[in-house]
Amino acid sequence: MSQEAVSLISRLSDAVVAMDESETIRLAQEVLVQGIDPGQGIEAGLVDGMRRAGDLFEREEYFIPELLICSDAMYAGLRVLQPHLPRGAIERKKGIVVLGVVEGDTHDIGKNLVKVMLETAGFEVVDLGRDVPPAVFVERATSAGAHLIGLSTLMTTTMGAMAEVIRLLDEKQARARIKVMVGGGPVSQQFANRIGADGYAANASGAVTVATRLRKASLESVAP
Amino acid sequence: MNPLQRFAALSEGRPLDRLPCVPIVGNTAARVIGVRTSQIRGVADLLARAHAEAYRLFRYDVIRVFTDLYVQAEAMGAKVRVPEDETAYLHEPAIGSSSEVDRLTPADPGKDGCLPIHLEAVSRVVDDLGGEVAVTAAVTGPFTTSSFLVGAETLARLALREPAVVRRLCEISLETALRWTDAIIDAGASPSITEPMLSSTVVSPRQFLDFGLPYLKRLVGHIHERRKSVTLHICGKTRPVWSLMTDTGADCLSIDNEASLVEAKAAVGERVRLMGNVPPVAVMFEGNSLQVRQAVRACVREAGDNPRGLVVATGCSLPTETPFENIDAMVRAVDEIGWPPRVAEVAA
Repeated sequence: MSQEAVSLISRLSDAVVAMDESETIRLAQEVLVQGIDPGQGIEAGLVDGMRRAGDLFEREEYFIPELLICSDAMYAGLRVLQPHLPRGAIERKKGIVVLGVVEGDTHDIGKNLVKVMLETAGFEVVDLGRDVPPAVFVERATSAGAHLIGLSTLMTTTMGAMAEVIRLLDEKQARARIKVMVGGGPVSQQFANRIGADGYAANASGAVTVATRLRKASLESVAP
Repeated sequence: MNPLQRFAALSEGRPLDRLPCVPIVGNTAARVIGVRTSQIRGVADLLARAHAEAYRLFRYDVIRVFTDLYVQAEAMGAKVRVPEDETAYLHEPAIGSSSEVDRLTPADPGKDGCLPIHLEAVSRVVDDLGGEVAVTAAVTGPFTTSSFLVGAETLARLALREPAVVRRLCEISLETALRWTDAIIDAGASPSITEPMLSSTVVSPRQFLDFGLPYLKRLVGHIHERRKSVTLHICGKTRPVWSLMTDTGADCLSIDNEASLVEAKAAVGERVRLMGNVPPVAVMFEGNSLQVRQAVRACVREAGDNPRGLVVATGCSLPTETPFENIDAMVRAVDEIGWPPRVAEVAA
């Protein structure tokens, strides 16, 4: 890549970090005008910017409002670049995750941030939204051929619904195929262990680490 | 000593029999009188009896009439789902977008939503037990109520994109909080502020300064004008904003188990009483009475010598199905430590 292209892509990353949606769009269009690979613009520009925003969040320099605006900028840039990717170029799928907030709870900021970070990391996310009954998680995960179910809640009152999803998967003997990760304010590793979840993450970046680990473990276990 | 005498002694620096102890009982109170959570939310007599009987059973030091955070927002038009036997939750914000802010009006505690029911319950508990224990009712803070009016994610974006709209929402929510506060005090009880959306898990200290401090200062100032003291509870991480929380003028800061009592004591203990922070889920809900005792002793070891005093409490409201024996164990553990509140390092 030319030095000019490298500089443009790093400015694209910076625009996402700077929460500058219109600048992100402008630079994404510039990527196309310059004939730079849109895949590079996405990976080394937009996605890189979102990863850096996630790091700032981890370090408590960014908070939820900042992270949301960064993700708005990233998605705005994606809408510019994605249509120009050559067919078959989006083969960066690490796995399919069905994600939602469990029934009885409508706090979905955490879930939405997990979605952003999982997509940033290359997972395909099926977002079921909030207040989702346990049976719906299992149905949708089955029909989407999902590898993972991600369950979120902010309320101590709805944690039982997480255990119910796992019970339903057990009943269908689908636990080997579909792993379950849990997270959200009151949820702990201890709770995850108790209900038999495969993974627990304390925040959105943690969710990426856990999802990646669970996917790797599944792939290794089916390898000859 | 009864709870009122205990708090009076703590404030005046006189010796007491033990530190005040407040397992923050919410819907668990329904279990004490064997009714469903939706019944205590909707029937004044049951809400009053549940909290009065929970106090009589466990003998903790503050009664907090509380079912969920949404009663004020609901009275302003937010849609709340009330499952038969689980905690109520927000179904839909009151308005769909920031352009509708002007449609919102402050709630009237005398007639809107379930505020009149809760007020009636508060007044009954005061009649029943106000002579021996502080009766409080929860006042949801302006920023948190705003998040229920417009939706939390929308509010978070507005904080950066249209701060003027957030201020307008906080202003209307503050007016509701002031009216609700007055109604609570007129009923003979005290308000207790809870403002979880201002947690540093959610917003930055800068945003706390913009959208929290000015409104909380006015709310606390009003409560003080009416000669009541008040506790400010914020969930999650709060270390970056302890100083700002203290600047609100609140008499006591109630902090989550995600925050450290030792650090809070060092940062603001000279200025304000602290309350916390036994883990409500990992210890109170999932643990046993031995773990509860250890957690209580850890709190006292960390901040039993806080210059402005410590209230041994849970870090947040208890899950509805918290075992009674753990609540009992919490009060007994504080009893056992007695006075002065010292726990030897080796005694854990």
